[in-house]
Order: sequence, then structure tokens, then C-alpha cells
Amino acid sequence: MIPRFAPKSLTGQIALLVALALFVAQAINFALILRERRQGQFTQVTAPAITRVVDGAERLRDGRFRDPPEERDGRERWKGRLRLEANNPVPPGLPHRVDVEDGIRQAMREANLPVGRIVTGVRPISPTDPRFARMNPQRADRMKRLGAELQVAVEIPGRGWLVMTSGWPRGDGDLIWRLIAQTLILYAAVLIPVLWVGSRVGRPLRKLATAAREFHPSAPSEPIEERGPGDVRAVIAAYNLMSSRVTAMLDEKDQMLGAIGHDLRTPLAALRVRIESVEDDEDRARMADTIDEMNRTLDDILSLARLGRPSEPPTETDLSALIDAVVDDFRELGHAVDYEDGQRLIMRLRPALMRRAVRNLIENAVKYGGGGEVTLKPDGASVRIEVADRGPGIAPDQIAAVFDPFTRLDASRNRSTGGVGLGLTLARAIVREAGGDISLANREGGGLSATIVLPRR
Amino acid sequence: MDMTTDTPHLLLVDDERSIREPLAQYLTKQGFRVTQVGDAEAARARLSAYAIDLIVLDIMMPGEDGLSLCRHIRATSETPVILLTARSEETDRIIGLEMGADDYVVKPFSPRELAARIKVVLRRMQAGGTRQHAPESGSYAFSGWVLKTGERALVDRDGVSVPLSTGEYNLLLALVMRPRAVLTRDQLLDLTQGREAAAFDRAIDNQVSRLRKKIEPDARNPTLIKTVWGGGYTLASDVTKL
Repeated sequence: MIPRFAPKSLTGQIALLVALALFVAQAINFALILRERRQGQFTQVTAPAITRVVDGAERLRDGRFRDPPEERDGRERWKGRLRLEANNPVPPGLPHRVDVEDGIRQAMREANLPVGRIVTGVRPISPTDPRFARMNPQRADRMKRLGAELQVAVEIPGRGWLVMTSGWPRGDGDLIWRLIAQTLILYAAVLIPVLWVGSRVGRPLRKLATAAREFHPSAPSEPIEERGPGDVRAVIAAYNLMSSRVTAMLDEKDQMLGAIGHDLRTPLAALRVRIESVEDDEDRARMADTIDEMNRTLDDILSLARLGRPSEPPTETDLSALIDAVVDDFRELGHAVDYEDGQRLIMRLRPALMRRAVRNLIENAVKYGGGGEVTLKPDGASVRIEVADRGPGIAPDQIAAVFDPFTRLDASRNRSTGGVGLGLTLARAIVREAGGDISLANREGGGLSATIVLPRR
Repeated sequence: MDMTTDTPHLLLVDDERSIREPLAQYLTKQGFRVTQVGDAEAARARLSAYAIDLIVLDIMMPGEDGLSLCRHIRATSETPVILLTARSEETDRIIGLEMGADDYVVKPFSPRELAARIKVVLRRMQAGGTRQHAPESGSYAFSGWVLKTGERALVDRDGVSVPLSTGEYNLLLALVMRPRAVLTRDQLLDLTQGREAAAFDRAIDNQVSRLRKKIEPDARNPTLIKTVWGGGYTLASDVTKL
């Protein structure tokens, strides 16, 4: 289980993993170096300082202690020398070295020397300290490198303060910075190639994902360029092959449907010509109606079957005018269909297909409800087209079934006129192709309302 | 134009016997002399052998199709052509309108309607002598709008398609074909009833006001479709065929 905040992409995950591993390795490394350094510091600085203080105290007890001469051959020999002073010279406020204090106290106790207070303080020395000028160059250099001095004052009861100054490595700050710098260099050296490899794998994969998501048989796209490592290339090649196969299959389906359409239309047209010889006007008119209806159904079947690859491109269209035009056609035929053409509402859609969807819904309202009201409501991210009638409605348990091709609800909706029940199926297919959906609901007070919801893009 | 006899001579070109033969029979009964052929090659032969007054041509034929034959006829003669076309499945686009035919009917068509169309085209040829393109071919631009007849779409200057009802479309087409001419209500009824006859019996005024709402900048102050006192309506704009 990957935590939520983790990067989702392949490159991101590899990079994160490598960064974490590097961090852990560097932390262990750092701890080891630090420990070693501490040990080195103890043997080189702390231990000698303790030894000198105890030695000085011993000499003091034995009366062999002498203050160092203030000056010899012009240089101050202050470092490492013990002096006896009356008061504690270590200024307060400097950081203490408890390890040194404890070490001295323990050593004094072991040597049976009386000891009072022990004060330590670490003080940084600036490289321009005037004392360096009087020092021998090698030592000055060492002091500068250490960067700090340790002052130790040990109270010898009844004698005063035994004072010592010694060079002191100036903390671990520089070490930390050095390690951070090192880590960053390491990160750069490792992560840049990792990111590069990651993008080499990731980019073609992302392209593939986009192409697969947007694959639409109506607009067969160019095959994706095979890039990246071999495994990725193989996946892309397989995808290209598959998409070309799907496109070819759909092409074949199109051709077949076209042939079927032509083959069925021709006998229909022949029939239409032949019925002119029927003498009875009423008979002839009925036959003509039947042929028209068969033709419409054929149109619907072909449209439905070809909807995956609509040949009509989406166009910026005034949806309100579109509905108005469909409604007007119904009014021309004498049907009572209400629609208030309002503001322009421009949507990107396939006009002839959408006309068909709206027409099919109104046709149902006219057929079963004797007429209908159409309303267009834009609300935020979507547009709703509602076609409401006052017909018998649909039993609630059959609402889902009416979308199935060739469903007829003989029980509640009496259909003696036209249609094969393909209208709703086709309308829904058209609307879904446009990214929307159709829902049906019985109205309060009777009747059915069919609502098309289209996303506004 | 050869009108040596009183009976106009039609050439009926359709590969489908089941349509061609009864149609020839029907048209003969309607007082035409009909020569029928089953393919483009035979049609070419008859065209050079006879004085044909009008060609009824099926678009979908094996071998050389109707479109190609239509192009050949347009290039070589003035004989009017009426196409038997199909509506393409999912658009309202009529196939083959750009080929220079004089008119068309959509399959399955009513033979009565075809006969009526034939008579109209022949009458036009007799009267004016100049042949005319099918009323619906190409695109017509007028004051910012484009009427695309193939797609039956009206497009504004931003490229937004404004769908028209059948009535609105027929009326606008009649006006656009005769810009700046004053058309009386009777004339407009005549002109618009030709095509989908049943779909147009409402008052012209009503359709005009609907059209105005769609295409006028201000429908209460129409500047495009103007009312002519005592006369009728006129399209007050120049029309360019695109």
C-alpha cells in the first residue's frame, strides 16, 4: 500500500525510493564518522587535558608547582600551561564541557586529590586573534584550524584556581555542513540519471495511456511513436497493432452496414414506385406511409449501428435554435408542442444527430401524450433539455427497459402508430456519444418527462 | 434544346431493374417518352444517338457512377439532369448536390413528386432556355451569414451553426436565391411548397417572424428580411455564392 502523499508516477516513485535509500545510507555514514570523531577528540584533546590538570594538581600538592614564565623568547607560551589564579577566570555563559569536568573530577578522586568546583568553557577564537601573531606558526595554524579553545578552571581548596587553556576542535558544525554538501552532490549525481531513465520510460507510457484513453474509432489516430526501452516499445507496438485492428474491424462494419442499407433501400424504393399503380387512393397512401416508416426505421438502425464512427463533425451550434427548429417541424405537422426559444446557447455538438435525439423524444411525447412541452435549462456545468408529456407514463419497474432496443411497453403505452421502439435507444446512444445521458421519470399529475443532460465544455 | 415532338424524351438511368421498369412505365403513363438504360456506358451511347430532353439519373451505380456521368453531361451539354439520391445516414446531407444537377429526389421517392419535378424543370428550360443549378447546391453568403445548402445549415460569422426548421429553411432558401427581389406571400408559398410539401402550410408571415428572430440583429427592426408595403418580403442584402 502506497501512502497517499507518495508520488504516483513511476519516475517519482523511483526517485523517492532512491532518495530515501541515499538518505539512510548517509545517516549511517554520518553516525559512524561522528562517533569516530568523538573518540579521536577524546584521545587527542580531552584525555591530555585531564591528565595535565591532574598532574598540575599533584605537583601543587607536592609543592613542585610553578607558574609558567609569562614570556620567553618573545612568545606567549600560554597553551597547555597551567597557572594558579586566585579567582575563576572563565567567563560565565560559555558552553560547558561536562565530559571534561566529569573526567577531571573522577581522575582527581582516583588520585586522592582534593577538588572543589570545576568550571569549563569553550570559546571560539577568531583567525585574526592578536595572540596568533606571537605564537609559533605551526601551532597558530593548528589553533586556527581547531577554531576554539577550551578553558578549564579547577578549584583546589585552600590554594586557589588551577587554570588551563587548550586548543579545542570547534564543534561538529563544519562536519555537518560537509556531510550535507556531500549528500546533495550524491543526490544530484544519482537522481539526475534516475530521473532521466524514469522519463525515458514514463513519457512514452504516459503518451500511450493518453492515446488509449482518447482512442475513438471515429477519428483513428496516427500510430504512437515507439520510444523508450525495449519493454516499453513492445507495449506501444502491441497497442498500435490492436488499435489498427479495431479500426479495420469498424471499417468493415461500416462497409457492411452501408451495403445492407443500400440493399434494403433499393427494394423499398422499388416498392414505392410500384404502389403508384394501386388504384385506391386510401390504400396507396397507407402503403406509402408504411414504406416511409420502414425507411425511417432503417435510418435509425443504420444510425445506431454507425454511431461509434459518426461522420458528422462536432460544430458550434445554437442548441436553443436547434430545439426550436425541431419543435417547429412538429408544429408544422399540426402537433401541440410547446417551446419557448430563449437565449442563444452555444454548444459544441453534432447538430444532425442531436436533432435526431431531440426529435425522437418529442416524437414519443406526441405519440403517447398527444403533444408535449420542451424546456431548455442551462445550469452551471450542464444543460438540461426536458421533454414532458401528459400521456400514460411508464410503470416504474419498466423505465430501465424502455431503453433496450425494440422494447415496446404494450401494457401501459398503447402503440398502434409507427416506430419500432428504437427511438429512445438511438436518442440515448446519441446523447451518450456527446458525453451526456437521458433519464426518464413519471411526472406528478401523470405523464412522462424525458430529460437530456449534456455537459457544457 | 430539342423539342421536335410534343412528348418530352426522358433518359432514365438506373442499374436497378426493379425501380427502373415500373418507373419508366409510370412516367410513360404520365405522358413522357422514356428510354431506359442500366449503366453509364449505355447512357452515353443513347445521349449521342437521341435528342434527350431530360435525364433522370441514379447516383449509386456499379461501374461508372451517376456523379461521374453527371459531371460528363454538364461538361458536354445543356441537358437538364434530375438525380435520384440517398440521404446519408446520420446527417441530413444530400449526396451529390454539387454535381450541377438541376434537381433531385431522395430515395425512396414518390413517382408523382418526380413527375412534378420533371415538369417544372422542363417548363423552366422551355421558358428561359437557360438552365439553372439545383436550387440547393453550394453555400450562399449574405450579410455575415452563410447558408450551406448541402448540410441545410445556417452559420453565423463566428462559425456557430444555427439550425433551421424545414419551413424556415425553405423560406430562407427562396429569399436567398432571389436577393433584393420582392416576393409576394403567394410566390413564397409556391416557392417553398415545392420540396417537402406537407411540411409547409402555415402562414408565411409566421415563418418570416421566426426567421427574423434568428438572423436579424434586432427582430423588431428588421433590416435583412424587409416587409414591402402591399407587396411581400424581400431580402435586403447581396448574396454571394461561395
